[in-house]
Amino acid sequence: METIQFSNVNFAYPMADRKALDNVSLTVNKSEFIVICGKSGCGKTTLLKHMKKNLIPYGRFEGSVTYEGDEISELDDRRNAAEIGFVQQNPDNQIVTDKVWHELAFGLESLGLSNRAIKSRVAEMASYFDIQSWFRKDVSQLSGGQKQLLNLASIMAMQPKLLVLDEPTSQLDPIAASEFLRTIYKINRDLGTTIILSEHRLEEAFTMADRVCVMDQGRVIAYDNPRTIGKVLAGAGPEDRHPMFYGLPSITKIFQAAGGEGTSPLTIREGRLWIDTRMKYAGVQPAPREAIWQNASRGGEVKEKVKNPAIHIENAWFRYDKNSGDILRGLSLDVPKGTLFCILGGNGVGKSTTLKAINGIVKLQRGKIRTDGKLAMLPQNPQALFTEISVEDELMEALHFDKRSDEEKVHDVVEMLNLMEISHLRKSHPYDLSGGEQQRLALGKVLLLDPDVILLDEATKGLDPFFKITLAGILKKLTEEGKTLFMVSHDIEFCAEFADVCAMFFDGDIVSVGTPGEFFPGNNFYTTAANRMAREYFPEAITWEEVARCVADSM
Amino acid sequence: MFKEGIGESSEFSGFHPWVNLIYYVLAIGITMFSLSPWFLIATFVLSWTYSLLLRGKSVVKLNLIFTFWTLVLMALINVLFVHNGKTVFFYVRGNGITLEALIYGVSAAVMLISVIIWFTSFNVIMSSDKLIFIFGKAAPVLGLTLSMIFRYVPLLKNRFSEIRMGQACLGRGSEQGYLAKLRQFGKEVSILISWSLESSIESADSMEARGYGLRGRTSFHLYKITRRDAVLLILMLALGAIVVTGTILGKTSVWFYPVYVVHEFDLMTGVTLAAYVLLLSLPILIDIYGEVKWKRSSLAM
Repeated sequence: METIQFSNVNFAYPMADRKALDNVSLTVNKSEFIVICGKSGCGKTTLLKHMKKNLIPYGRFEGSVTYEGDEISELDDRRNAAEIGFVQQNPDNQIVTDKVWHELAFGLESLGLSNRAIKSRVAEMASYFDIQSWFRKDVSQLSGGQKQLLNLASIMAMQPKLLVLDEPTSQLDPIAASEFLRTIYKINRDLGTTIILSEHRLEEAFTMADRVCVMDQGRVIAYDNPRTIGKVLAGAGPEDRHPMFYGLPSITKIFQAAGGEGTSPLTIREGRLWIDTRMKYAGVQPAPREAIWQNASRGGEVKEKVKNPAIHIENAWFRYDKNSGDILRGLSLDVPKGTLFCILGGNGVGKSTTLKAINGIVKLQRGKIRTDGKLAMLPQNPQALFTEISVEDELMEALHFDKRSDEEKVHDVVEMLNLMEISHLRKSHPYDLSGGEQQRLALGKVLLLDPDVILLDEATKGLDPFFKITLAGILKKLTEEGKTLFMVSHDIEFCAEFADVCAMFFDGDIVSVGTPGEFFPGNNFYTTAANRMAREYFPEAITWEEVARCVADSM
Repeated sequence: MFKEGIGESSEFSGFHPWVNLIYYVLAIGITMFSLSPWFLIATFVLSWTYSLLLRGKSVVKLNLIFTFWTLVLMALINVLFVHNGKTVFFYVRGNGITLEALIYGVSAAVMLISVIIWFTSFNVIMSSDKLIFIFGKAAPVLGLTLSMIFRYVPLLKNRFSEIRMGQACLGRGSEQGYLAKLRQFGKEVSILISWSLESSIESADSMEARGYGLRGRTSFHLYKITRRDAVLLILMLALGAIVVTGTILGKTSVWFYPVYVVHEFDLMTGVTLAAYVLLLSLPILIDIYGEVKWKRSSLAM
């Protein structure tokens, strides 16, 4: 029997003029792994929430949603709690108790199990998820990835048959995200739990999925195998492409755009083999590449000096505590004016500390930092800025200390609403905005202070691929106006496509700097999926469009 | 070991929460009802000893300041407002300042100080986990509520510092002037509240999704009673019974007014006092034994 069955479901939120779900019919079989993708606000979350009784949103509903043949809205409460697990986006908000072990036991306590029974279940889960070493810790000491893993383990302790996950990795860094996805995959393979996952990071999720469901404006526009779904969205040519095509993983996009036949490769390995066969067929030789021992002296070239840098950091040393290790170790950096300068690097290497140092929130022990012009920063969580009850008031609040007349202020606010493309939301409450819209509102608020240099902390975190393109457009406009943007990011694909200069941060210092064209081909691991796939033949091609063009041209 | 204090790794802390709790109920309970000088000296000295043993030198200053001011204040207030007693030192505006009032003030102050200092070690021994366990036994909801409070305090702290940082990003938070500072603080608190209310909706969803609100909720814990818990519990209760019997027999009675009279020190008084001292020093002995055992085993390695 089908685990989940949507039959002709229509749903609209109260007061909304558009349907959030438009005639959705969908079947999920037992033990399947389903990935749902689509733009923010396309109805993914609404769809997922209909699969859990206590989360079903209020509004006009038609049709039927069943779990193993029973209507979800009439499901027994105990069965709803135990058999259907639901993981949300924000790791922090889902944790309720103060200790890891207590959180693991939470669901089992609700079900009224005895102490002995809970103990054996919790022990089992802690071992399966490798939680033993932090089993007795306070939850406040965990990293974001550990918190989300704990949320998952706490649900798995109830042994659900269906696991629904709503963008569980959007708040995590790439390494924690990929570990989380692998854990879900393991659960699916080991325990046969049915998985329904909504995701933006499709590169990895596609390799795990049995079927992919693409949604747009409340409708399911494609529901197919990940190897063939690209074909459905690609249409007949570049003009015929569905907008959702741009949200697919690079490999699929390259395959379709370069005119691949048959089923699409999913992993980098398959992609490389596919290019290999194509190139052999076309008679193209791999690009000559120096072996690593031949260019031992490379990477040491001295860069020419940046004239009039917007941010100048010289030999900066910093540590938080007398007894802790150095976070910044002789960092020197010049950021040219009017560029989007991206800093890439792993967790805890000192990227955020650099931002704080530039902003003057922490004081250096040695070295100096100079910024040219007014400075402002966009924090990681846009909520930290919101005080007002509507978007336009929020922007007005930024000008609170401005001495100009009200008309001039209103004029500026209206202009900013247009620049950020959020004019249609001017009366909404900031908390009712989606993640991407909140990010743009926060950016607008920061920009109203008229800074020359803007620091961005993980500005693309949790955004879908489409919002990223919009954001990139806005950032482009800003750099053209002569503003300098300094961004710290985990998002390699975004930096590769849109940055002017990229730098790699490691162990308290910058280890390499360059334009994306110089920066990425030199890296082996720390580069885009497209580049990793095609580097043997086209080492200079970084974005999926470049690779697709190169492959198509050489045919 | 005594510089830093033993802290939560103390041997006594490893006993079952009920044993810990009953010890403190006895220690603090009996302290609160005894004004006999022997008892006061015993509880005062031992409460200080255990507090220092657990928390090390960092707590000395705090305890000293508290002890000194409580002593001075209570003795002074009692002397100035109570004029009973036969032994008059001198007169202030026609009111006698008496020795008996001074003794009463000091005795009451020592009692209060001892209770408070017992609580400084109580805080180390009765960790949040144990409190949650004990309250959870009374009512699962109570235990859970406590646990959620312990969860939200650090969360809100982190969130508040993030908000401060966010405001600093806008160039706020370094206002001059009292009013402007207050206004900015109000703004930050208001952000914290709306943010937390917003996220608490998700927490409520997550609780309900995991079956919160179903009938017959249980309360999970990681504690189990072993033989040594039972032995210590019986020992403590036996000693406690002796002390209470002695008190009921009037062996610890004291009269302050008009003249300070202490019950004569007979055999039963001695037994009662010995039982009391032994009861109070049990965790100290256990902890020192525990430390010595560790020292030995690390030397043997």
